[in-house]
Amino acid sequence: MNKEVIRIFFLPLFILLILFPVLALVFNLTMKGILATMVDPFFWDSVKNTLIAALLAAALAIVVAIGFGYYHLFHRDSMVYKVANLFNDLPIALPHTVAGLALLLAFGRNTFGFLGETGAAFTLFAVILAMFFVSYSLAARTLVSGVDQMEPEIIDVARTLGDNPSQVYFRVVLPLMGEALFSGFVLGFSRSLSEFAAVIMFGGNMPGSTQVLASYVFTKVEVGDLDMAVTAAVFCVALSFLIVSVLSFRRHRYAAS
Amino acid sequence: MLQAKEITKKFRQQVVLQQACLEVNSEIKALIGINGSGKSTFLKIVAGIVSADHGKVFLNNCDVTSLPPEQRNVGYVPQHPALFQHLTVKENILYGMRNGKGSIDTYERIVDLLDLQAVLDKHPRELSGGYRTRTSLARALVPQPQILLMDEPLTGIDVVLKERILPDFRKVLKELQVPVLYVTHDPKEAELLADNYALMDNGQVRQVDTSAEAFELIRTSILQEYA
Repeated sequence: MNKEVIRIFFLPLFILLILFPVLALVFNLTMKGILATMVDPFFWDSVKNTLIAALLAAALAIVVAIGFGYYHLFHRDSMVYKVANLFNDLPIALPHTVAGLALLLAFGRNTFGFLGETGAAFTLFAVILAMFFVSYSLAARTLVSGVDQMEPEIIDVARTLGDNPSQVYFRVVLPLMGEALFSGFVLGFSRSLSEFAAVIMFGGNMPGSTQVLASYVFTKVEVGDLDMAVTAAVFCVALSFLIVSVLSFRRHRYAAS
Repeated sequence: MLQAKEITKKFRQQVVLQQACLEVNSEIKALIGINGSGKSTFLKIVAGIVSADHGKVFLNNCDVTSLPPEQRNVGYVPQHPALFQHLTVKENILYGMRNGKGSIDTYERIVDLLDLQAVLDKHPRELSGGYRTRTSLARALVPQPQILLMDEPLTGIDVVLKERILPDFRKVLKELQVPVLYVTHDPKEAELLADNYALMDNGQVRQVDTSAEAFELIRTSILQEYA
């Protein structure tokens, strides 16, 4: 009975709500759209901007997540950890337009003067920061879940062998967290690739400068060039599948080892 | 020499240790108790991994109660070997030397005594259970600790192998003249390794003459509880 219910609901809903929209993109690909997009320098600029910004945002997310992992492991009672932990969950629930606006105000000239002086708003750096803001919590959660799965005795033994907490963390914990670090990086990268709202609010949508793939698709839809929008969108889908495949391949290889 | 005086520990409302006192001189002492009796917590308090609510720990007459594990110079062999998977057996055994603990001479002697030469370049995942435990023991011994704390290190190893390994361990530990506190719930293990015995019962440590006496006392205590 239960199996029947699952089959009856799952398959039609999956096909209708997940598969059909992706197929709809592919069915709407046109040769004209492909050719026009492939010769559009702004498309390639947006691809380049997306990849560079997402890679740097994910790398930054991992660096900050490593710091959070240390507090998670050794200073869980500290106020720093408690506040950081609370804020970790925030970007998940927060509308990303709000995240973008928050960044814009923080790095504007009127709130924290010294941040405004950086002139970060509406630059590629702003795009990176916006992507980081929405992807960091994924990287931190992934790393922390890896840390929680580790045998606590490993840390105890390293301490009795003379390591202080930071030495244990860098010499033992992080080298054993290779898979969690990689997964955190890839998830952060994927989340960064898909970000639109925070990026457009804080980084803007300037072709050739701060435009990313998501905002390129939006612009093409807005100006009525659906063929080019569809081509860029299919490119995004292919890129996403590639990332998911890399992650899945790594997981299978790790599980087998 | 280890002296633990009036160690008390509560986890939330549950009293795990109640003014537990124990002394280990230059001997192998087995601390026997049923699962959940507080013997592992006691060991971790001695190692500095868990802090006591009350009581003092002395190593060679120095009060180490407030020192973190890295400053106590104790060897710790946990229930699972807890080997560093990213390092080879050799790197695992030499780990303490990164922090200036131990010497190459001691390393070579211990590797020889524990017969680990053949596996030095292997990674822990390539080792059998017996070799993992030997490596874990060697790693704890190279820094020449003031006391070696062993927390049921042969859990999960079959009885036949235990009977082969324990006399070897005893020989090595006697040769190195290191005081040992060996926590176990297995009377056979205690008999094969230890010089004398103590019983952990109701959060307190009692001195006993034989492991059989310890288990008789545990049995009586359990029967009284469920009678």
